[in-house]
Amino acid sequence: MLRPGPKATIVASLLVLLLFGASVAARARTSQPILYSHKVHVSSYKIDCRFCHTEATKSASAGIPSVEKCMICHRVIAVDHPEIKKIAQYWKEKKPIPWNRVTELPDHTYFPHKRMVNAGVPCLTCHPGIDKMDVAVQQREFTMGWCMDCHRKRGVSIDCWTCHV
Amino acid sequence: MLDRRNFLKLGGATAFAALFGGCDKIPKKIIPFVIPPENHTLGEALWYASECRQCPAGCGIVVRVSEGRAKKIEGNPLHPVNRGKLCARGQAALQSLYHPERLARPFALTGPRGSGRFREISWEEALSLLLGEMKKIRGKAPTPLLMLTEPMRGHRNLVAARFMRAFGSPDRVAWDPFGQDAFLAANEAVFGVRDVPEIDIARTRYLLSFSGDFLETWGSPVHYARAYGAMRQDRATVRGKFVHLGPRLSMTAASADLFLPIAPGTDGVAALGIAHVLVKEKLTAQAIGASALWNEGLKEFTPEVVAKKTGASPRVLAYVAREFAGNQPGLAMAGNGAAGCTNGTFNLACVALLNVLAGNAGMPGGLSFPNRVAAFTRYGAEAGLLAPPPESGYPAVRGAVGKMRSGGFRMALLSGSTNPAFTLPAALKFREALLAVPFIVSFASFLDETSFLSDLVLPVPTFLEDWGDDIAPAGHSGEAVTLSQPVVNAFHDTRSMADILLAAAKELGGEMRRALPWESFRECLEEAYRGTGKPWEDALREGGFFSLAPGPSRATARASGPALPKVAEASFEGEAAKYPLVFHVYPSTSHYDGRGANLPWLQELPDPVSTAVWRNWVEISPGTAKELGLSDGDGVIVASPSGSLEAFVSLHPGVAPGVAAMPLGQGHSHYGKDARDRGGNPFSILPAREESVARGPAWQSTRVSLTRAKIGGRLVRTAHPEGQWKIGNVM
Repeated sequence: MLRPGPKATIVASLLVLLLFGASVAARARTSQPILYSHKVHVSSYKIDCRFCHTEATKSASAGIPSVEKCMICHRVIAVDHPEIKKIAQYWKEKKPIPWNRVTELPDHTYFPHKRMVNAGVPCLTCHPGIDKMDVAVQQREFTMGWCMDCHRKRGVSIDCWTCHV
Repeated sequence: MLDRRNFLKLGGATAFAALFGGCDKIPKKIIPFVIPPENHTLGEALWYASECRQCPAGCGIVVRVSEGRAKKIEGNPLHPVNRGKLCARGQAALQSLYHPERLARPFALTGPRGSGRFREISWEEALSLLLGEMKKIRGKAPTPLLMLTEPMRGHRNLVAARFMRAFGSPDRVAWDPFGQDAFLAANEAVFGVRDVPEIDIARTRYLLSFSGDFLETWGSPVHYARAYGAMRQDRATVRGKFVHLGPRLSMTAASADLFLPIAPGTDGVAALGIAHVLVKEKLTAQAIGASALWNEGLKEFTPEVVAKKTGASPRVLAYVAREFAGNQPGLAMAGNGAAGCTNGTFNLACVALLNVLAGNAGMPGGLSFPNRVAAFTRYGAEAGLLAPPPESGYPAVRGAVGKMRSGGFRMALLSGSTNPAFTLPAALKFREALLAVPFIVSFASFLDETSFLSDLVLPVPTFLEDWGDDIAPAGHSGEAVTLSQPVVNAFHDTRSMADILLAAAKELGGEMRRALPWESFRECLEEAYRGTGKPWEDALREGGFFSLAPGPSRATARASGPALPKVAEASFEGEAAKYPLVFHVYPSTSHYDGRGANLPWLQELPDPVSTAVWRNWVEISPGTAKELGLSDGDGVIVASPSGSLEAFVSLHPGVAPGVAAMPLGQGHSHYGKDARDRGGNPFSILPAREESVARGPAWQSTRVSLTRAKIGGRLVRTAHPEGQWKIGNVM
């Protein structure tokens, strides 16, 4: 009886992983209702993050722009682009765009954007490479050790209750 | 070839990939605004000022709104009526906003009337149906259109009135089951002003209350409760004394220093007994000059005579009279229990007489009659529409019922929280009469007993999503106009009645368009308050206009002094032999006239006296229960000559002997799952009788019998009456 050697098993496993990777990539492209590119807006057109994420300096959450905000520019810019047409449709129906959450922190931590942003921490510290992404993904795992490193370096409170309230 | 072992290995890897590929991230939605509210910061609440419409008091509210969702309702601290306070009914209004049974679309009847078979239709279809029917009856003389609403005030009332006038129909009826007809008539007879006075409880030293639950449901309860707190505690050297007379120890009565249980309908006589002592012993300046009253018959009302009729002790009555005179300013007031008897006007006039004898009219700590529409002189004759007197509209309702039955109406426009099919006595046969109208349109947020009978149901926003203005009937000296604004975007595809009437007027054109020239109700309001010296935005932010100069208070005392009210005795339907107990009904602290019964927060709110929740009960005194062989928690059938219902007995040592007391508000047959099947509806066993002078509904006018019966379930109370009252020790 012919038995597949360890090589065959490895190849088969790699194949499976490759398929898995491809499926993840494919899903990423369809993961949002609109294929929004940070790269185009941030790197090509040099739009400040806070133009859209207006709440970053004021609120715990950086905020996702309203449909109205998108339409401020896209009433006139790239109106024929298929993805922009989708936005226009949401605007016409006065429906919100149901974005999928990309970046997430565990529920047991309290993370106020306004503290970091107002202290001058660049957005890219926690969201590295977002300015180069066509499809936003969370690049950095937010582990406690990583947070603490930065807090220590900057001389910020490392009291438990600073983050775990 | 794969053997079994490797097949399983590969299969495992595939399953792993499939499993973990599928949960790299559980998708969680982030739904941003389409158009964010102004001044909105994510995660930070905004407070919007508006007005509560859970009862007719008209308290100002501020609503905490987070991310476009209303989270909490509180009293508006700037509002003169409630000064930052709010009652449980107001707090619970939040649940009507989010209620799963709210009407989200227009509905048209598909089955027979009352079958509850409706189909969803679009607004276009709904409006074309409405206008089609309106055009059919337009121009007929007399116009067969009825409008039956809750009492409206402010520009909502103005729009409705102008619509009906331009349509050519005189039949605009506003129904309020707790309208104050007797109070208005009594004030007209005694003070010469047909209005509700401003009652300065906060500064009085001695408060006499007759069967009025002013801390719970009567008039403007939050305003009075706040003033009552001030009367007791706000002054350095005075703690005002409070004496309550009435057939039942309500929460209000339980707050009194002295509670005198008296027989139902004898409030007027009790007041005359006190007046007798005042005049006889010449205790006040006004009493000294009241010899005319004395000779007109007051001399016959000695404390002994009065004691026999009321059941109160003559010694205590005389003592109360002396204290009342010795602590000026003293104040006397009466409520539903006294006004709802067949001799309601007599009762209230006698109580008003006590105020005259105390000389408190126009004084701090007394009564005054401000002109509440002083700021609207530019409206001329229409100014009265903005703050109509709080009548019940009962005579007009009865007239309308007769006209409906005889086929006088082709179309009925129904609106309102007062739900006439539920709150009118069954003996009036409102339901049957309404069904004789060929086309019934309801403006409603819920399918209650009334809107259930309609052919067309138009969903309206709750007051938290609506525009409006109001002039509260009590709690200010004529300087307060409240504005209401949507605190959140409308949850459903709803349109307010005023907006629908404006749209209809536009479509009908001609005279109607001239009478109602606005595109929307909001535009109507903005136009009305433009040029009042305060920017509209500022007024909205504060909740209204509270600093307009108060108009002069109207003259009160009649030149010749009031005459002795014509003595009338309360009469009760049913023979005493067959129906041994007098039936005393009162608005429920939680549900008011029944409008709160669909909100679980109010259902689970324990009644302050019986502590019962989620159901109806009937209160009798332990002595009466002993005579009838009943004990606490027994199921009984409460029967009157007009009908019967099932209830559980709750023993209450503070009910006058020979009286059965029941809260109104429960007993719905429709109005949602939380309102349905919670005991019988006491309105349905009341006779269709009128108060003899002012023609308001005489709720306190029947006798009942209690018969033990087996009924399902039990009465749930949060405290056992034995523990609460220690029966036997209390009385």
